[in-house]
Amino acid sequence: MKRILSVVAGLAVALVAAPVLAQDFGSAELIAAAKKEGRLVYYTANFAEVEQEVIKAFNKRFPEIKVEMVRAPGGQLITRIKTEAAAGKLLADVIGHSDRGLMLEMNDMFMDYAPPNAADYRPDALVSPKLWPGVTLGWALAYNVELAKNPPKTWADLTKPEYKGKQIGQVVAPSGGTTWTRVMFERQVLGEDYHAKQAALDIALYPSGAPLSDALVRGEVSIAPLLYNIIYTKIKDGAPAEAIFAPEGVPIIPYADGIPKTSKNPNAAKLFMNWRLSMEGQQFQIKELGNLTSLKNPPLYPKGWDPKTVKVWVPEFGPFEKLRATWVEDWNKTYKYRQ
Amino acid sequence: MTLLLCVLTFLVIYPMAMLLLGALTNTNPVVHGFGVLDLSLDNFVAVLANENVHAALFNSLIACTGGTALAVVIGLTFSWIVVRTNTPWKGFIAAVSMIPLFVPPLVAAVAWSILGSPKTGLINTIFRWAGLDWRIDLYSMSGLIVVFGMYYAPYVYMFTASALRNMDPSLEEASEIAGASAFRTLFTVTFPLIAPAIISGMLLSFVVMLGIYGIPAVLGAPANISVLTTYIFKLTAWNPPLYNTAAAVAIILMVVTAGLVVLQQRVLSGRSYATVAGKAFRPRSLDLGAWRWLTLGLAFVYLFVVVVLPTLALIVAAFRKFLFIRDAASLFDMKQYSMVHFDSVFDNPLTVRSIINTMEVGIVTALLGGVLAFAIGYTINRTRVAGRGSIDVLSTLPVAIPGLVIGVAYLWAWIGLPGGLYGTIWILALAFVARFMPDTVKALSTSFLQIHKELEEAAWICGKSLLGTIRTIVLPLASPGVIAAMTLLFVLAIRELGSSLFLYTSDTMVMAVLLLDYYEGGNTGKTAAFSLVQTVLLAVLIGIANWLSRDSAGSVGRTG
Repeated sequence: MKRILSVVAGLAVALVAAPVLAQDFGSAELIAAAKKEGRLVYYTANFAEVEQEVIKAFNKRFPEIKVEMVRAPGGQLITRIKTEAAAGKLLADVIGHSDRGLMLEMNDMFMDYAPPNAADYRPDALVSPKLWPGVTLGWALAYNVELAKNPPKTWADLTKPEYKGKQIGQVVAPSGGTTWTRVMFERQVLGEDYHAKQAALDIALYPSGAPLSDALVRGEVSIAPLLYNIIYTKIKDGAPAEAIFAPEGVPIIPYADGIPKTSKNPNAAKLFMNWRLSMEGQQFQIKELGNLTSLKNPPLYPKGWDPKTVKVWVPEFGPFEKLRATWVEDWNKTYKYRQ
Repeated sequence: MTLLLCVLTFLVIYPMAMLLLGALTNTNPVVHGFGVLDLSLDNFVAVLANENVHAALFNSLIACTGGTALAVVIGLTFSWIVVRTNTPWKGFIAAVSMIPLFVPPLVAAVAWSILGSPKTGLINTIFRWAGLDWRIDLYSMSGLIVVFGMYYAPYVYMFTASALRNMDPSLEEASEIAGASAFRTLFTVTFPLIAPAIISGMLLSFVVMLGIYGIPAVLGAPANISVLTTYIFKLTAWNPPLYNTAAAVAIILMVVTAGLVVLQQRVLSGRSYATVAGKAFRPRSLDLGAWRWLTLGLAFVYLFVVVVLPTLALIVAAFRKFLFIRDAASLFDMKQYSMVHFDSVFDNPLTVRSIINTMEVGIVTALLGGVLAFAIGYTINRTRVAGRGSIDVLSTLPVAIPGLVIGVAYLWAWIGLPGGLYGTIWILALAFVARFMPDTVKALSTSFLQIHKELEEAAWICGKSLLGTIRTIVLPLASPGVIAAMTLLFVLAIRELGSSLFLYTSDTMVMAVLLLDYYEGGNTGKTAAFSLVQTVLLAVLIGIANWLSRDSAGSVGRTG
């Protein structure tokens, strides 16, 4: 009986929710115009595989719109965008980048845009009314379950002498906006001496998060702070790894995604953005990809995330930009990383 | 001649000028325009004063010197075995000696990281299982040297094998008549006589190693060993990107290369190495007796280390769901293996598109580059027109520039051109033609040198025009060389990553970029699966090209 009741309740929720979801994506005119355009070019600094899944999910809802992706590491993508734009040959209809500072520098390049559910987003996740957090990522502590016999439970644990000798892997501070967010959190929240204590443990350094997540699964390192989405899909597929959200805080990185004024398929671009920012798009990214969300009321939480105890840490944009060069330089010196 | 100079200016001088401009400013020439350029040497001063650049330069020099030394030992040994001994299966050994040339550096490095990681490497896992107390660590400078040496030995082999083949044996005979042993003759007569070929092979392998990104990125990074190419990549990938600094570092790399070329000329100047005389001869074949089985064994060991082991590593990684291998028993646990990575690779629509695009780019590059290299090679080797020296220099220049940096220079140089070049495979093909011109021209030049001038003169006497002579005499005789050069260009184009990174668009994704995406996406399984796909494709295509080349060689033989 209980089961029947819950099925009925589920159906009721679905019936109520369906029209709301449809509205989330934009007006009937926009959808029709987007379908007529039939394609869009998407530039992203996120991992290609992850974005392929997003495109697939979008195409389940809108199979008429072909999304073509160009993926490049952060700095290279910015150079390409600036050069293409200056030559009048910017091919992108949508641009997504984790480095909000660099995107803000190009703010004039983007058209005015806001999703239908704009009011549902945290104001501190926006750096410009034109740029939206289609993707929101958060830092977790990951470990290899076969190797870490006494896994860390807090950020502070990552300075314990028992993890000495290349057991911990870290992504280098200058690798991009996401890592800089973690470095800023560590120094502001965990203490000025946090980096020095950790560097003394002789940790392994990696150029970016994805190779580090692979190294963790292979057993090259046993413990690593990682963006939750990088390790989540591997855990889901059965990799010998686990990830937790530490009690001192979860540094989060809202992306800055926008539509260039020169977009040749502006309606398809708006629909793609609307869908990514919709409840459905965000829910998909949390459930299937291990992303977080910048929505004020998240549709669901990742495994192990207790909203009563987990503290979200969003960097203040002013200090985020101002402190960056000197603190990254300090980090390089502390960790003896050659820059 | 003028046309050739114009083409070379467009392909080489213009992008290099952009690179130099980038190094002398702090602006993007396309974004900021040429009007606001404020030229200064600040980037060079900053780079030269940066101790991390010193460290990267020092590491590059150590890794490439060590790698070159090993490449000389391997390359020279095999060229001697193939050309000068009666070792059985010499054709097979000759083929094996060239295989590493076709392996993309990133693929080789990923395979060797799976094999030689100090913690999880398969070789160490097997040692532990066998109760042996040996451990290898390829995440080190010695690891870099060994992998460089193994994979760039073919460059030394190519040069020394042809020199040994063309050498008049009378000097060696004289040495033996004077009482020297075969071994002593080898080191006191044979090798000193082919010194120019050894030095040229050394120089080329050194310069190529200096520009490689994949191997130091995978094997050097875990040990925090930074070399110039990984340093340049970091400068371009960091936020914000520092292209102008990267351009300055690239120019330093070019200066190092130029210095080496000058050094090579100094070493070789003032001595005579003339060994190829007018009379006919056959290179001597040394009877090794029972020792010939040892030399054959050496070839098998090389094949095992350079081809079998890395391929096995890639197969394990490609078919295993996760690469966590607890112990040797787990390595043979068949439940851990599946097709999941191949399914995932082919589920990605970009995979098939990248294969088609790569083939198209490869073919266009080989055809365009082949024609251009033929024109350049003919002009340099067979004519006496003024300015052919500058053509020689211009066509050799690109060898010194790392792909990553020249990629952005091509973007800066060509994006503003009217017409729809940007966003097509043609821009990639042009970049590859320019980048690999030195390799193609050098590969073709040997063919020109082998055709005697009197054949052309005979055609002229019979009233043939210059183009008619080329079409009826030179091209048919040089066709095996042309096909070989085009095959080389095709392979290099398929492998090329650095200059593709800035020029590909969503429509023109190529395999090398997708492979880097898989690697950077942190999935060794998919990287290995895609590497195997690429390797099989390359093997099939090279097989076809070889067959075509053999066929045309046969036809030349008949007409000759």
